[in-house]
Amino acid sequence: MKSQQDPRSTRRAALKRLGATGVALGALGWGLVVPGSAAAQAGAGMPLPEENVADTLKRLFGNRPLQAAGERIKFEAPMIAENGAVVPLRIDIDLPMTKDDYVKNVYIISDKNRRPMNAQFSFTPDSGKAAVGTNIRLASTSDVRAIAETSKGVIYETRREVKVTVGGCGG
Amino acid sequence: MSQVRIRIPEKIKPGEIVTVRALVSHPMEMMAFKGGKPVERNYNFVHKVEATYNGRKVFEAATTQAVSQNPFVSFTIKADAPGVVKVVFHDTQGKAYEGQVEIKF
Repeated sequence: MKSQQDPRSTRRAALKRLGATGVALGALGWGLVVPGSAAAQAGAGMPLPEENVADTLKRLFGNRPLQAAGERIKFEAPMIAENGAVVPLRIDIDLPMTKDDYVKNVYIISDKNRRPMNAQFSFTPDSGKAAVGTNIRLASTSDVRAIAETSKGVIYETRREVKVTVGGCGG
Repeated sequence: MSQVRIRIPEKIKPGEIVTVRALVSHPMEMMAFKGGKPVERNYNFVHKVEATYNGRKVFEAATTQAVSQNPFVSFTIKADAPGVVKVVFHDTQGKAYEGQVEIKF
């Protein structure tokens, strides 16, 4: 019995140490686990870096301005989500979907999650209309943004505040 | 292997914009749990969803761990020809979950 407990306790201690060394070493650890090519490819198997929302926006859009979407994006999100683990979202975009000018990407970004970038949806002119629905996890009460990027590079943004009663294990 | 469930409206007119809803059972977990406590990092979540309509790609999603357990996605297609809509969910462990539905007029 004793011999069975020993490896378990050392493993627990090792995990604790790993946690204490912080983000920098953690990131290094991930770098070692992932082959270089996979790490370079965005979203290919590994979580995105933990960062704040300003960094996420900068990484995704650079210095391109975000325009207020106004009526162009219909974004349905609950005002109060009782369960942060399942927050239903629906995005309907009222922009032309022609061969030259269509909605290329739609992003869901939640400001207070540890990894704000939640999901990216890509459309083609064959989609007919850019509309998407999904469920996401929110760690705490936060603004959720729906951002649409057209093939011409124009970016529209809209946001809703979702109040979360019980956080869903932080995404 | 769990099944992808896809729903489309019962009646579709040619040229109509149709909402396709797809759902797959998947834990979408970041941590492996044992007795309610996280024991190790286990990145097992759906990171890519692809949809094709008669072989043409119509929709793609890059999802992260922030998408809920049993991920659900809905998207639209322009139903201009009878055919097959195929949705594939790829997870970080290399598994693919596939489902398809037929569009008839």
